[in-house]
Amino acid sequence: MGGMHGFGPVVVPGCELAYHERWELRVFAMSTIVGHERLGSGSGRAIREEMPPEEYLRASYYERWLWSTERRLLRKGTIAPGEVDAWMARLRSAEDPPRRIDPDQSRRVVGAVTRPDPPLAPAADPRFVVGDRVTVRRMRPAGHTRCPRYVRGATGGVEHVQGMDAFPDIGPYQGPAEPLYSVAFASEHLFGPSEDGSWTVLLDLFESYLEAV
Amino acid sequence: MSDHHHDHDDGHHHPRPRSELELRAEALEALLVEKGLVSTDAIDAVVELYESDIGPQNGARVVARAWADPAYKERLLANGTAAIAELGYGGDQGETMVVVENTPGVHNVIVCTLCSCYPWPVLGLPPTWYKSAPYRARVVAEPRAVLREFGLELAPETEIRVWDSTAEVRYLVLPERPPGTDEWSEDELVSLVSRDSMIGTAIAVAPEPTPVA
Repeated sequence: MGGMHGFGPVVVPGCELAYHERWELRVFAMSTIVGHERLGSGSGRAIREEMPPEEYLRASYYERWLWSTERRLLRKGTIAPGEVDAWMARLRSAEDPPRRIDPDQSRRVVGAVTRPDPPLAPAADPRFVVGDRVTVRRMRPAGHTRCPRYVRGATGGVEHVQGMDAFPDIGPYQGPAEPLYSVAFASEHLFGPSEDGSWTVLLDLFESYLEAV
Repeated sequence: MSDHHHDHDDGHHHPRPRSELELRAEALEALLVEKGLVSTDAIDAVVELYESDIGPQNGARVVARAWADPAYKERLLANGTAAIAELGYGGDQGETMVVVENTPGVHNVIVCTLCSCYPWPVLGLPPTWYKSAPYRARVVAEPRAVLREFGLELAPETEIRVWDSTAEVRYLVLPERPPGTDEWSEDELVSLVSRDSMIGTAIAVAPEPTPVA
């Protein structure tokens, strides 16, 4: 949504908090556990984008996470359609939810959350080098992409070769690894002249998004 | 991890009516617990981790060390992930962390226009405004107007660099050390580093206004 108009002010009451209700943090925790314990299938980030756009914009942040967590579990077959609704009915009729203690899982998950994963590998055979001018391809991908609309067609300069990473548009995040670049764009090249002067916008862009100038 | 007993108020005894979303979140938790796939204490542990151990206090420690120790700062700017790991921080959403330095003529701001990418190991979970449509839409296209909403008015000649976290690299701003803090210890400096100053919507300030020469 980079560059869109009409969303109003950024700073509004309550905006400083990371979450507003306890259930939001528990949804976050469940999503984390589903990921580390491999209970779901697919990328939460990509699945959240499958929400119909008008629904996505209306939904609160952790509502989207709840939505994607359920779908990851459904896709893997970990839960079946209707099972969450059935439990909602049981809770509505004042049934107490079950509790289960598993210190091994706690230790495993906390370890996984705080264990550093290896950083990006150095770029192999990068097509571009620092200082090259590059233009972002014009395209309209149907699914998940990490190339925002506001930068397509714009020309910028390679500031840094970040390393090698799985191409996110395929899979998603299952594509072959390819070089990733930090590319700097002058604001005029993205948004035209502004009364508020000029600035620089930098994005991490995959090689497949870029063409030589 | 702290070992105090926090309230297990998440599944029982609701003094107020639950929203549909809250009920759905509880139903999903009940379902996963009932199936024996997720344990209540593992969810509690992840919640506790992000409430107590993983938050902007970690990033503040990194920044204060960089202010106090020039050799550390050099390592931090050269390889953020490795230097941050020296202080014991790393893990989910921090696989590759890059630290960008504010200098007298350059001010950096972080955003994720596509979703909510954020360096969890050093900043914790992002504030609501960071994940909101207004911030994601506007900070790339009118950064000065957005910073003004946060009460930050930069000199017209300051170069603003907006980093859109479009891939798996996570950014942290190294704010400028406030003037008049030369004698401050590293522990004292930590208190000057706000979360927003590490996102770039604020600067680090010393509590006493520096006398005007």
